[in-house]
Amino acid sequence: MLILGLVVAAVLGPLYVWWQNDNPTVKRYGIGSAVAVIGAAATPFAMGRCAFNEGTSGVDHLLAYSLMAGGAWLALMIMQALFDRSDGKKSDSAAMTGEIRTGGFRLGWWVPWMLLSPTLIILIWFLYLPAVQTFTLSTKLTKLGAPKSVDVCFGNFTELLITDPWKLVAYPLLAIAAVYGARFWLGRSERGTWNRKGAEVASMFAMLSIFVAMYAMFSPGGGGQVAYRPVYLNTVIITVGIVAFGMIGGLAVAYLAFRKIRGGSLYRTFLIWPYAISPAVAGVLFFMIFDPTAGIFTHTMDVVFGIDVPNYRESAVLAQSSIILASGWKILGYNILFYLAGLQTVSTDQIEAAVIDGASSWQRFVKIVLPALSPITFFLLVTNLTYAFFEVYATIDFMTKGAPAGKTSVAIYEIIRIGVNNGDLGRGAAQSVLLFAAVIAVTVWQFQTSGKRVSYGGS
Amino acid sequence: MKGLLKYLVLLAVVMLVAAACSSDDSDSGTDTTAAATETTAAATETTVAATETTAATATTAAPTEKIDIDFWVAFSDESRLGFANDRAAEFNEGHPEYNVRVTSFASYNDVFDAAILAVDSGEPPGLIHFFEAATRQALDAVDGDGNPIFKSVTDAIAGRTEILGEPVVLDSVVDAARNYYTVDGSFYSMPWNTSTTVMFNNMDMLNEAGITEPPATWADVETACAAVMALDDAPSGCITWPNHSWFVEQTLGQQGELLASADNGRTGRATEVFLESDGMMNYLEWWKSLNDAGYYTYTGLQRDWDGTSNAYLAEEVAMLVYSSSDTTFFDDNAEFTNVASFMPYDGDVDYVGNLIGGATIWMLDGMETTTEDGALAFLNFFSNPANAAAWHQLTGYIPITQDAVDLLESEGWYDESPNSKVASDQLAAAKNTPASLGALLGNFVGIRDVITLAIEDILVNDLDVATRMADAQAEAQKSLSEYELLFGG
Repeated sequence: MLILGLVVAAVLGPLYVWWQNDNPTVKRYGIGSAVAVIGAAATPFAMGRCAFNEGTSGVDHLLAYSLMAGGAWLALMIMQALFDRSDGKKSDSAAMTGEIRTGGFRLGWWVPWMLLSPTLIILIWFLYLPAVQTFTLSTKLTKLGAPKSVDVCFGNFTELLITDPWKLVAYPLLAIAAVYGARFWLGRSERGTWNRKGAEVASMFAMLSIFVAMYAMFSPGGGGQVAYRPVYLNTVIITVGIVAFGMIGGLAVAYLAFRKIRGGSLYRTFLIWPYAISPAVAGVLFFMIFDPTAGIFTHTMDVVFGIDVPNYRESAVLAQSSIILASGWKILGYNILFYLAGLQTVSTDQIEAAVIDGASSWQRFVKIVLPALSPITFFLLVTNLTYAFFEVYATIDFMTKGAPAGKTSVAIYEIIRIGVNNGDLGRGAAQSVLLFAAVIAVTVWQFQTSGKRVSYGGS
Repeated sequence: MKGLLKYLVLLAVVMLVAAACSSDDSDSGTDTTAAATETTAAATETTVAATETTAATATTAAPTEKIDIDFWVAFSDESRLGFANDRAAEFNEGHPEYNVRVTSFASYNDVFDAAILAVDSGEPPGLIHFFEAATRQALDAVDGDGNPIFKSVTDAIAGRTEILGEPVVLDSVVDAARNYYTVDGSFYSMPWNTSTTVMFNNMDMLNEAGITEPPATWADVETACAAVMALDDAPSGCITWPNHSWFVEQTLGQQGELLASADNGRTGRATEVFLESDGMMNYLEWWKSLNDAGYYTYTGLQRDWDGTSNAYLAEEVAMLVYSSSDTTFFDDNAEFTNVASFMPYDGDVDYVGNLIGGATIWMLDGMETTTEDGALAFLNFFSNPANAAAWHQLTGYIPITQDAVDLLESEGWYDESPNSKVASDQLAAAKNTPASLGALLGNFVGIRDVITLAIEDILVNDLDVATRMADAQAEAQKSLSEYELLFGG
C-alpha cells in the first residue's frame, strides 16, 4: 500500500508541475517523469509483484528493479516517439513527404494497415505471441503434460547468476565505468601521440571488461545454482571463433578468387557450395573426417604417417576448434559470396590511382578495399553472429553432443537440451530469453560502434 | 475515382471476412456435395459392375468407411520401421474394416511430445511406442482436464481371450517384461522391443591372447584385457560400451542396489534418488580403473551406440557390452568369431539380476469401443507367436512371449544361432527383486543425462568419483523433487 501511495504521489507531482508551468521544456520534463514513473510502476504489476514475496532474495529484488528501470525507459521512449510524431505533424513539408511515401493523402490512415494486415497477423500469431508466451513460461516450473505448474518468478533466472546482489550490481557498473572512462580518455588525446595509443589500448580492454563482467556474473554452479558460467564461456569462445574464422577466411578466399584466373567462374561456384549444406550435414562430414575410430583423417594419419591422432572429443581445445572449423567452414561460402559481390563494387579508379602513387598491394588492401567493403562486413557480422548463436545446434549434436563434459555446450545447445530433450519448459524459456537479450544487446552495440565507421558511399 | 477505390477496398474486406466466417459451413457443404458425387459415382460403378456378375460381390463387400488407428513409432530405420509397416499392412488385410496407419518419429521423446500435443488439440493417435525409462512419465501424463492420457491394456482387454479373432497374447508375455511394466498391479502397456545388456566377444582375438572363454566377472575382464593388450598386434583398446545410464542401472541390478526410494518406485512413488550408493561407487570406480589402465575405450560421446559398435566391428576392441537388440546385426556383420555372453558382473558381490530395457506400446484413452477393440486386436496380432519370433530373428530383441520362445525352439533357431538365446537366459537367471526390476521414477530421462554427464566428466577430466557423484546426486535429486512437485499427489 505504501509503495502504491508513493507511486501515485510520484505521478501526481510531475503532473502538477506540468499543469502549473507554461515553459514547454519543463512541461516535457514533467510529463516525461510522470510517464517514466508509471512505466516503472506498471512493470511489477505486470510481473505479478512476485519478486518481493516472502522467501525472495536480494537478487530477485535486483532483477525486479532492473525490469522497472527498463519499463521506465520503454515508457519514455514511447513518449518521445509520440512527441516526435506530433512535432512532425506541425512541419508541413515533413508531413507531406510522409504522406506521399505512405499514400496516406489519398486514402485513410487505415489503408496501409489493412494492406499490411496479412503479414501482421502471421507475425503476431506465429512470432510475437509465442515470444510473449516465452516470457511468461520463463517464470514457471512446468513440464509438457504436467497437471500443474508452479510459479517461480525470477527463479529460473536467478539460479543462473551468482547469489551476491552487490557484486551483481558492481560488476556491470565497473565495466560501464571502464568503457566510458576509456572513451573520455580517447576524446582528450591527440591523434598520433602515445597518449592516443594508450587510450586505444585502454578502450579495447574496456570492451573486454564487459565480457569479463558477465563472466563473473554467471554462477559457476554448486549450492543449487546452475553452472551457467561455463556455458557462457563456451558460447563466447565458439561464437567469436566461428565469426572470426568465417569472416577473415571468407574475405581471404574471396580476395584470392576475385583475381582473374582460368576457369574462375567455375571455381567461384564451387567455393560457395558449403553454404548449400545444412548445419547437420556439416556436422556429419567433419565427424566422418575426425572420428577416432571411423574418421578418414585419423585413419590416414595412422596408416600413412603412423601418427596417433588424439580423440578430438576428449580435449576441450580440440573439440571447440573442430566445432569452429565445421561451423566456420559452412558459413564460409556465404561470406565468400557477399565479399565477391562487394569486391566488384570497389572503385578501380582509386586502386589505379593508388598504384600510380606507389602504394603496395597490402596498403591498397587495407586503405582502399577494406573501407569500401565495410557495409558488407557490417552486414556479415550481424548475420554471422546470428548464425553462430542459433544454428550451431545440429553441428554440435552430431560432432560432440557437448563433449568433453559440456565444454562445447553453447547457449542454444543448452536450451534445446534442457527445454526440449528434458522437457523442462520453464528453464528452457528462461535461457532463451537470456539469449534473446544477448542478441539484442550485441546488435545494438554493433549498430552503435560499427555503424559509425561503415561507409555506404555517396553523401 | 477516390470513392470508387474506397468502396472496392471495403468490398474486398467484407468478402474476406465473410469467407473466413463461413469457411466451416461452406467446407462441410462442399464435403456433402463431394460425398454426394462420390455416391453417384459409386452407384454408377455398381451398375457397371452389376453387369459383370463376378465382380459384383467384391464391390458390395467393400466396407463403406474404414476406422483409422494411428500407430506412432519411434523407429526410423528401414528394418525396424519396415517390420511395423509390414505387420500393419497384414493386419489391415485381415481386418478390412480397420486401417492401421504407422507414422515414424525420430525418437521416443518426439513421439511422446507429439502425442501430448495431439491430445490437447483433440486428434490423438490410437497407439504410441514409448520407452521403459519414461514409464512413470507416461502414467503421470494427463490431458487438459486432468484425466490420464493412457489406458491400461489389461483393463481394456478385460479378461477376453480373443478380440476380433486375434488371440490375446498378453498372458504369455515373459516374466521379466511383465514384471517391469506392471505398476500398481496393472500391466499397462504391451511390450514390443525388449532387450537386455549382453557382452559380445571377439573370440579370435581373445583366443590369440590365450583366453578361451568369454569373461564372466569384472576380474575376468581385467585378466582378459591384460592379456589382449599384451599382444604384439594389440588393438587400441580392450573393451567398450556406450556411456548410457542403462548400463549403470544394469550393474545396480546385478549388485541388488536400489536407484530410487520406495523400492525403486515399485511400492509407491519414488521421491529420492540414490546416485552415491555403494553399488554405484563400486561400479564407477571399476569403470574408471579400466579407463585409467587403457583397457576401456571411451568414444568421447554420451549415449554413443554407433561409435562403440563400429569400434567392435573394426576390431579396435576385443569386447563390447551392448544391447542384445543388435545380436543379429553383429552375427551378420562381424568378420570374426562373434560370441555373446552374459554382461560381466562383480564376482565379489552376490549376483541379483539384470534388467530389461526397450519400449512398449501404449494405448490412448478415450477411443470408441470399436476403435479400441481394433487397436487391441492389432496389439495382440503384432506380438502373436509368429510375429514376435520374426521380430526376435530380425533384431535380437528377446521373443516377448513364451509361445514365441517355444515356436523358436521347435524350429531349431537357437541351435542355429546360439548368441540369440543369451539375452533370454540372462533375464531368466535374474531374481525377481525391486533392484533387478529397475527403477520407475519421474524425470528419469533428465536424471539419466545427469549420470552420463558425470561419468563423462570423471573419465575425460580424471575427477574423483565420490566428489563428482555428490554433485550429480544434488542435481538429480533436485530434478526428481521438482517432478514430484508437478506430478506427485
